[in-house]
Amino acid sequence: MRDSARLHVTWGLIVGATVISVAFGVEAAGPIATVAALALSWVKARLVLDHFLDLRLVAGGWRDGLLGGIALMLAVVLGLGLIGPLVG
Amino acid sequence: MIEDLPEEVAGGWGPLSSLPGNPLMWVLIVSELLVFGAFLWGFAAARLLHPETFAAGRAVLDQGLGGLNTIILVSSGWCAAQAVQAERNGAAAAAIRRWLGGSAALGLAFLIVKGIEWSHEAALGHGLTSDVFFTLFFLMTGFHAAHVALGIVILAIVAARPSPENLETGTAFWHMVDLIWLLLFPIVYLTG
Repeated sequence: MRDSARLHVTWGLIVGATVISVAFGVEAAGPIATVAALALSWVKARLVLDHFLDLRLVAGGWRDGLLGGIALMLAVVLGLGLIGPLVG
Repeated sequence: MIEDLPEEVAGGWGPLSSLPGNPLMWVLIVSELLVFGAFLWGFAAARLLHPETFAAGRAVLDQGLGGLNTIILVSSGWCAAQAVQAERNGAAAAAIRRWLGGSAALGLAFLIVKGIEWSHEAALGHGLTSDVFFTLFFLMTGFHAAHVALGIVILAIVAARPSPENLETGTAFWHMVDLIWLLLFPIVYLTG
């Protein structure tokens, strides 16, 4: 895919994922909406890192390290969100 | 002899050398991600301790404006990526500056929408000291907005001197600001 077209597709995917997460978050608050919003957030972060920041071309584990760190951060937020109703 | 020294000591950047732009920008990017990550963990922990306060706070946030701002900032990042692409394709400096100008203009639009949102919350009586939810909301979105404002200044500096390294370094900062909002927005506005 040409670079310009790749950037268009990346933009479209992030905007589409944002619209879905807003619609889902407004209409279906709760654990499922939380999981969906955070999973889509990770997908959007990956698209930015890979295609806007070009980390897909970088050697040395930077891409995997950053994506892993973001996944860990979101997993902790998700875990705290899910145990809330259990301890409350 | 200098060629016998490790690359880091001899003036190279070691593993940072493979990243686009100036390696020091990546030190800043990783530092900022850690700071905002700590903010988001603190937000999630506070929500665990004060669920009713956070549910009430989230209920009065405008998810539509937050979503609109996400689209604005992603579009701004797209313009910044196009500026880098234009430089790699050998485009004239004027074309690169147009992409950077579009990116900065959308950054300004983000700040205007954020100002509208904050004034709406203030009109409802919500401020920095209202409760723990709004304290964290204003601190986190305000800190992020300060980064957007700094990013606009950086884009203007890059537009004045659009060398390949300046472009990659300045737009890397801008994409980091974009990335942080993509993480902050769902956690603050959509979950809980």
